[in-house]
Amino acid sequence: MNTPDLFSLALADALWSALAALGFAVLFNVPVRTLPGCMACGALGHMLRTLLAAQGVSVELASLVGATAVGFVGTAFARRWETPAMVFTVSGAIPLVPGVFAFRAMLGVINLISAPDVQAGMAALYETGVNAARTGLILGALAVGIAAPTLLFHRHRPVV
Amino acid sequence: MTYKDALEREELRDVIDLSLWAGQLLLQHGAEAERVEETVHRLGTALGCDWLDVLVSPNAIIATTSSGPEFRTKVRRVVGMRVDMTVVSAVNRLSRRVESGELNRFQARAELVRISSMPPHYNRWLTVGLVGLACASFSRLFGGDWAVFAVTFAASATAMFVRQELARRHVNQLLTVIATAFAAGLIASSAAVFRWSETPQTALSAAVLLLVPGVPLINAAEDMIKGHMVVGLVRGATGVLVSLAIALGLLLAMTLAGVRGL
Repeated sequence: MNTPDLFSLALADALWSALAALGFAVLFNVPVRTLPGCMACGALGHMLRTLLAAQGVSVELASLVGATAVGFVGTAFARRWETPAMVFTVSGAIPLVPGVFAFRAMLGVINLISAPDVQAGMAALYETGVNAARTGLILGALAVGIAAPTLLFHRHRPVV
Repeated sequence: MTYKDALEREELRDVIDLSLWAGQLLLQHGAEAERVEETVHRLGTALGCDWLDVLVSPNAIIATTSSGPEFRTKVRRVVGMRVDMTVVSAVNRLSRRVESGELNRFQARAELVRISSMPPHYNRWLTVGLVGLACASFSRLFGGDWAVFAVTFAASATAMFVRQELARRHVNQLLTVIATAFAAGLIASSAAVFRWSETPQTALSAAVLLLVPGVPLINAAEDMIKGHMVVGLVRGATGVLVSLAIALGLLLAMTLAGVRGL
């Protein structure tokens, strides 16, 4: 893909994922002053993932990179707006949640029980397994990514 | 450790009550287990206890406050979960103000009363519109065209309205999810039924995204990474169950509308 194409892809991706993050931020009732930060986190994470995936990086690894960026930027925003980082990181990570893979896994289960023969059953089983594994891996990547700042730099002796 | 005066038994009762109240608000509104445990401990010690032992379980918090020779233990049930970042943010700030000595026990109680009765920032119609827009944006991210965008907006905005109505009537959480996914799926199917688009399936997968249990699933993974295994497992199971309910509602709608494949 050449540079202007990549640029317009990134721009469109940032716009739509910012709007997606906005909707969920409102659903999660975030403080009004944090809305722009939530949109920025959503746009940043998803845009990074799309750009990396366009370069041939796997979705799982690209999700980890995107979520880590959201984690660090969210932590910086949290200092600036004096609110827990999770306000930004949760809204920002929502566009990265592998909803479609999760559904395909669930539909695979339903296809499995309604499969007419062994071959169709094996195909459904494969579909379920692959999609469930991707869902799990991406979710793990999201959690590690947004927790990265705390895990790496904010270590302190546990109080409890 | 700095020396603290031993608290009276009555004071101890007040401190444990306030700490658990703050913890309950956090757990109920989508905070991760680590934050709940830390906040309860910090509040309690800031309000004059020597130590608090805190156990966060998925639907209860148990804490023991100790001060001098006295100790008291209390269990607080935590039921129902609704993500609300304003509450999490407000409790976080309260805990910091108490720690810095700005608020005493009585002011902290007044603040907790205020936090518990805060109305939401966004009215329900704004939420309906923006959640519809969010799912419609997802359909663009999945490569849908403008017809799909419009259908997804209508489907998920209606679904959000259905969800609000059912939640207000205290319908079972999973039943609410099934019914909401059904409503979203039925309207989103129209793109395929009337052949409005080349990629009608995109509307179906995008329209139900408002139900995806993103917060429980992310929290589940984060809790487990940080060593809160039980809370993480329960939240993960909740997330899987909700996802299954979405698939069930969607599949019912697709079967009824005669749409195949996703």
